[in-house]
Amino acid sequence: MENISYNEVNEDVVRTMTHTTWKYWVALVTCAVMATVLWGGAWAYQIYVGQGVTGLNTPTFWGIYLANFVFWIGISHSGTLLSAILFITATPWRRSIYRSAEAITFFSVLTAALFIFVHMGRPWNFYWTMPYPTTRQLWVNFTSPIMFDVFAISTYMTSSVIFLYFGSIPDLAAVRDRVTGWRKPIYTYLALGWRGTEAEWHWLSKSYTFFAVFIIPLAVSVHSIVSWDFALSMVPGLNKTIFAPYFVVGAIFSGTAAIVTLMVILRKSLKFEKYITMMHFDKLCLLLLVMSLLWSYINVVEVFSDWYANTSVENETLRYRMFMPPHSYMYWLMIITNSIMPLLFIFKKLRTSIFVCVVVSIGINVGMWIERYLIVATTLPRKYLPNMWHGYTPSLIEISITVGSFFFFAMLFLIFVKVWPSVSIYEVKEDIGIPMRKGFKRH
Amino acid sequence: MSGILTKLKDKLQSYRVPGYRTKFEYKWTMVVDLDRCNGCEACVVACYAENNLPVVGKRDCDISRRFSWIRIERYIEGEYPDVKVKFIPIMCQHCDAAPCELGCPVYATYHNQDGLNVQVYNRCVGTFTCATYCTYDVRRFNWFTYKWDSPLEQQLNPDVTVREMGVMEKCTFCIQRIRVAKDTAKDEGRKVTDGDVQTACMQSCPTDAITFGDLNDPNSKVSKLAKSPRRYRLLEELNTDPSVIYLKRVMDEKKGHGSSHG
Amino acid sequence: MKRRYFLKFIGAGGIGTGLGMLFGQAIKPPGAKLIPYLIPPEDVIPGLANYYASLCTQCPAGCGVLVKIMDGRAKKVEGNPLHPVSGGKLCVRGQAGLQALYNPDRVQGPMRRKGARGSTSFEPISWEEAIGEVTTRLNDLSAKGESDKLYFLTPELGGHLGKLADDFMAGYGSSNTIKYDLFDYRNLRYANRASMGIKAIPHYDIENTKYLLSFGADFASTWLSPVGMSRGYGEMRQGGHTGRGKFVQVEPRLSLTAANADEWVPAKPGTEAVLALAIAKEIVDSGHYKGSDLKTWKKLLSPFGLSYASEVTDVDKKRIRHIAKEFMSTRPSLAVGGEGISGYSNGVSGLVAVNILNHVAGNLGIKGGVQANSNDLFGGNDADTVGAGIQTLINAAKESKVGLLFHYNNNPAFTTPGSAKAADALKNVPFIVSFSSFLDETTALSDIILPSHTSFEDWGDDFTNPAPGFQVATIMQPVVSSVYKTRSLGDIFIGIGKAVGGTAKAKMPNDTFATHLKASWKRLYAKDKGMSASSFTFETFWRETLARGGWWNEKSAKKRKLSVSTRSVARHVSKEPAKFEGESSKYPLYLLPYAQAGHLDGRGANIPWLQELPDPITSVVWDSWVEINPKTAKRLGVKMGDMAEIESPFGKVLSPVYVYEGIRPDTVAIPIGQVHKLYGRYAEKRGANPLEILPSTVDTRTEVYALNSTRVRIAKVSRPGDLVKMDVYTDELGRGIVQTVPTGGQFKKSSHH
Ligand SMILES: Nc1nc2c(c(=O)[nH]1)N[C@H]1C(S)=C(S)[C@@H](COP(=O)(O)OP(=O)(O)OC[C@H]3O[C@@H](n4cnc5c(=O)[nH]c(N)nc54)[C@H](O)[C@@H]3O)O[C@H]1N2
Ligand code: SF4
Ligand code: SF4
Ligand code: SF4
Ligand code: SF4
Ligand code: SF4
Repeated sequence: MENISYNEVNEDVVRTMTHTTWKYWVALVTCAVMATVLWGGAWAYQIYVGQGVTGLNTPTFWGIYLANFVFWIGISHSGTLLSAILFITATPWRRSIYRSAEAITFFSVLTAALFIFVHMGRPWNFYWTMPYPTTRQLWVNFTSPIMFDVFAISTYMTSSVIFLYFGSIPDLAAVRDRVTGWRKPIYTYLALGWRGTEAEWHWLSKSYTFFAVFIIPLAVSVHSIVSWDFALSMVPGLNKTIFAPYFVVGAIFSGTAAIVTLMVILRKSLKFEKYITMMHFDKLCLLLLVMSLLWSYINVVEVFSDWYANTSVENETLRYRMFMPPHSYMYWLMIITNSIMPLLFIFKKLRTSIFVCVVVSIGINVGMWIERYLIVATTLPRKYLPNMWHGYTPSLIEISITVGSFFFFAMLFLIFVKVWPSVSIYEVKEDIGIPMRKGFKRH
Repeated sequence: MSGILTKLKDKLQSYRVPGYRTKFEYKWTMVVDLDRCNGCEACVVACYAENNLPVVGKRDCDISRRFSWIRIERYIEGEYPDVKVKFIPIMCQHCDAAPCELGCPVYATYHNQDGLNVQVYNRCVGTFTCATYCTYDVRRFNWFTYKWDSPLEQQLNPDVTVREMGVMEKCTFCIQRIRVAKDTAKDEGRKVTDGDVQTACMQSCPTDAITFGDLNDPNSKVSKLAKSPRRYRLLEELNTDPSVIYLKRVMDEKKGHGSSHG
Repeated sequence: MKRRYFLKFIGAGGIGTGLGMLFGQAIKPPGAKLIPYLIPPEDVIPGLANYYASLCTQCPAGCGVLVKIMDGRAKKVEGNPLHPVSGGKLCVRGQAGLQALYNPDRVQGPMRRKGARGSTSFEPISWEEAIGEVTTRLNDLSAKGESDKLYFLTPELGGHLGKLADDFMAGYGSSNTIKYDLFDYRNLRYANRASMGIKAIPHYDIENTKYLLSFGADFASTWLSPVGMSRGYGEMRQGGHTGRGKFVQVEPRLSLTAANADEWVPAKPGTEAVLALAIAKEIVDSGHYKGSDLKTWKKLLSPFGLSYASEVTDVDKKRIRHIAKEFMSTRPSLAVGGEGISGYSNGVSGLVAVNILNHVAGNLGIKGGVQANSNDLFGGNDADTVGAGIQTLINAAKESKVGLLFHYNNNPAFTTPGSAKAADALKNVPFIVSFSSFLDETTALSDIILPSHTSFEDWGDDFTNPAPGFQVATIMQPVVSSVYKTRSLGDIFIGIGKAVGGTAKAKMPNDTFATHLKASWKRLYAKDKGMSASSFTFETFWRETLARGGWWNEKSAKKRKLSVSTRSVARHVSKEPAKFEGESSKYPLYLLPYAQAGHLDGRGANIPWLQELPDPITSVVWDSWVEINPKTAKRLGVKMGDMAEIESPFGKVLSPVYVYEGIRPDTVAIPIGQVHKLYGRYAEKRGANPLEILPSTVDTRTEVYALNSTRVRIAKVSRPGDLVKMDVYTDELGRGIVQTVPTGGQFKKSSHH
């Protein structure tokens, strides 16, 4: 990146915000329409008619919505980890990608949170899960993992928004200084009067570091807590000690894969080849490889200990998941995408092939979605009393909402790249190599 | 120091026990004698009539959305001619350490002072957590707002709420009947005595397989039956501490009485 | 009435008539049914329940019930705890009676046929018009001197309603009352009369027996008096007697009842009588039987040697001997015979064989055995006379000997074998009057419908049959005002009788059935059957009887000796097993149609609770099925849920397959009660009706159709099945769900109750 001037960086990034092609609008409108129809429409219908429009049943009361919830929470770990961990470990290649990653975090937490509403029988009473003083003196149940969720996710969502915003202030100021018209007052407001004084840089650096340190355990705890929605039950196949680390690993795994996919898209569509280089893919794919090995290890351990325990409840759940179609097909596909395909990244050549990166990272996300789906769809149908066993097939409404959530997410991201500097201008400038002001040396 | 540790231990222990009561004014208990039960299902229909359970139709039955709060599970074992069919009526076990109560974020299901696992329909937001956590699969969800073809709705029991879409429900041990008995007893200045409360299922059961009463009363029928050597509780190893006690069926399981029997 | 309706009603009065009319529309139910709050009926307290004692008519058992009434609506049926049969308990059908009362598909008032016969096109008419029309028809017939061409087709009508109907028929000049019910125990009555000389069905004392040997009696769901017998069963098992009674069930399919037995003996269909007699022979030969007529018994039973019996019945010799040994040495023991022995071409013989078995084992007239019931309060027991049967009516109709048919509450177009062609025969009747409350297959054939009340809306009484060893009369009283424009059947008869005039009118001394019933009871009271034991006046007696739910007198139990003589039974004993139509080479499988717990003969099929009640064995809902042994299924290439075509020499039906270990490989079974063409939204067009492919074989002694009388063959059809069963998995997987203890240690009492 040595041959780029500071001005060029500024121009490149701001250009993505001010210059819009018709392709962008087509993409945005498509996403918006699809999200409205597939998600909004289907959800409205579901709210009107009842949860009966799903394929949920006794005893499979949790289905694809919860799988989506966990999936999107998982995706959200991309931003936090890439940004925060790489930040405090002073990993230089994070700079051009962390902004998008943080955005992904926020949008996927938002999507995930919406799935809680979608999943509820009476979403209009959601506020009852909030501990607020009421005249009826009703309090919430703090022993419920669902309550843990409410706190964890709201904290995580708030923190990730602040984290994203803090890190963007200098860039918002840069945008402010380059845009005209209606954009001007907005960015003036958003930039909070940033002038780039030494003191400002100093405090930004301090607070950003603080948030980075704060958000890592938070992210870990959020996904542990999500895992406890399942693991704190007594349902065979859900009641697992290993679930918390399994979910955290899975989250980082899927989050990183999501970033790889998005990086490829950003790089192509915004012509960011200068900023997102093969070096970035190389490093991310190495991370994927490590996470894949960890994930596979946990899977093997889980299956092995279940098999070794040889109790009827564990055996039946395993059998149902691994050997009974259609779930067995999904299971083995997941093993291929999550355990086998990432092994390709052992080879540097493949790590630096955009094609392989895309195929494998999409594969991982498909696999990780399947993992979450199988967790609910293959355990609840096999609880303790065989007489009540009953399988689950998602209904068209559920599938529609699921597909809609991807459009919704894409829509949010498309809006993001237009309204927010999607590459960190000031940190890329650090990459260019000219020393920054005093007090912000380290990075 | 050790005092603090004990306190801390107790405190931590208390978080593992859902609800907040360890002692009950009454300890409502049901005893089901599997040697009496012949699987006739009179109890099932009685519960439908008493508790305003909707009929969901063939399609929804097919995806396991039948509403019965009490069901007869059948287990068939052996090959012709050594076949055994075993029945067990299963309703909410009113677990004293109920996993469902632990899961509900809004206390829509909680333990009351009588040892009942109660369900507050109005409070429920429909997260399904309770039903997922319930190890006995006894919870039923209002997938829709169910309708009764007129004039069938004239039969609906006014003592029991007609539930609306989006809320969870399950066997209540016929709490409306317990209420009446308690009110009557209170008016008469006494405690509820054995026989004052009959659940609808118990009432109809032709073989008298179901007995209901207060386990705190040492002279109640359930207290006596609970001491039977045939006593067991369903999935007892899960430590849910159910309030339903089963009495084992008397039968020779292994070697059947096929045609080779001498 | 709800509070807000009341307020609306008050409001309507204030605002004026015009607006009041509009409000009137808003006030549902109509004003006539409002409970006035200012001067309410003395027994109605809004919000508080009242319980009225009455009678269950969902099956002929005659259980006493309590109906819970709140705000003028029936809310729940419960057993009457004082009643000797129900003892506060009820079966599935008894519970569900309410959904017959409030059924949306009831006939809502008198109707006249508009379209072609069976087309279900009817127009509403007034009651006056309806009665007028029937009167005209009756008068036309009697003017032609053909009064005896009036037929009345009815199930057994208990108590004074039956009497009133008989009086009407006699007064009009016809003796053609045809009683028909698919399950009406005519064979049992006949067999008992023939072998023991008793008219009333005896009390089978399951409660106190130590060894119950049942030949195809599915008393847990349908046979005779399911509630009473199940109560006995529970007591026999764990009732705190000195030991737990043993129970052996003989039948080709493992019914709900058999599932509760300690041993299941799947004898070959149609050979149960041979098995019973072989056991009897063992007992006689063993020297257990000490009667003076030992020799003649030995002679009579001589053909039923172990080898022959074992070969015919497919039951091991050792096992027959073992059962015989246990049956005679366990005192008291009891043999009962249900549809699984009486439902054959020689049904009466089978039941006679059971009586013989009880006789030689010494079970007649003892506690824990068979106890005679005294005659009912009328002194005789008209209800138990086995008169002309349905075949007589069908033949008469075919030969145009029926000029006018009254039809009430049974459905021969559905409940008779397809080859009996009952519907076709009925079409030959020039005019049919139906008193049914539901538009079923038979009612649809009628020309005019005068719908009668359900048991919740009507007066009546019933002399419980079988009684529990002593006289029981149960009173039925209206507990709600009629839901639709229906009338009491008694009132209909009185109305028609009075309109027809002549002797028929003379036979109707009272204006309403209610007054008639009370007057009749006053006569019974005057005869003093022990009713006026204390210093009652009739009025107090009547009030208390209504409150209690009827009258019964345990002291009227008379220990009566019962016996079976070789002379009386000789002509009913036959070495041959029952006959089955269809060559075994072409039709290899025995067909057993059986009464299903919820639907009985099909009458429960219009009740949503019962449709959605899983069958106690198969757990199927909203459907019927054909039970096939896994080996047979494998041979035929059918799996659980596949559609199969069941073909007999008389026709075919389609049914989904239920693969069941509890059925003989040479036998298939289909429950009766489904595939109504007409019977309301809940009953129509689901399942298969095995009756459609039955021959019209009857036991000629009783005109009872032999349900188990044909063989069938089965072929898979490619149509996808839509069997819905609630248990997908029936394997416990060793999870200790239904825990058991072996019988060995359990003959001692283990619990108090
Ligand atoms: N000084 C003082 N003031 C008080 C109180 C106090 O203790 N002291 N108590 C307070 C309390 S707690 C209350 S509840 C209020 C009560 O205050 P109000 O509601 O005014 O009660 P009343 O004066 O008892 O009755 C109101 C009217 O209802 C009429 N009425 C009776 N029956 C019927 C009927 O069936 N239909 C209709 N439409 N009208 C009917 C009566 O004739 C009367 O005119 O007073 C309050 N005010
Ligand atoms: S049986 Fe299920 S619903 Fe009932 S208390 Fe136990 S866990 Fe809760
Ligand atoms: S479904 Fe209702 S009762 Fe159950 S956990 Fe959710 S809010 Fe609580
Ligand atoms: S106790 Fe009441 S609510 Fe529970 S199963 Fe029995 S009848 Fe139903
Ligand atoms: S009513 Fe009694 S005998 Fe019948 S299934 Fe229920 S518990 Fe068993
Ligand atoms: S056995 Fe017959 S009379 Fe008794 S409750 Fe059942 S249906 Fe009614």
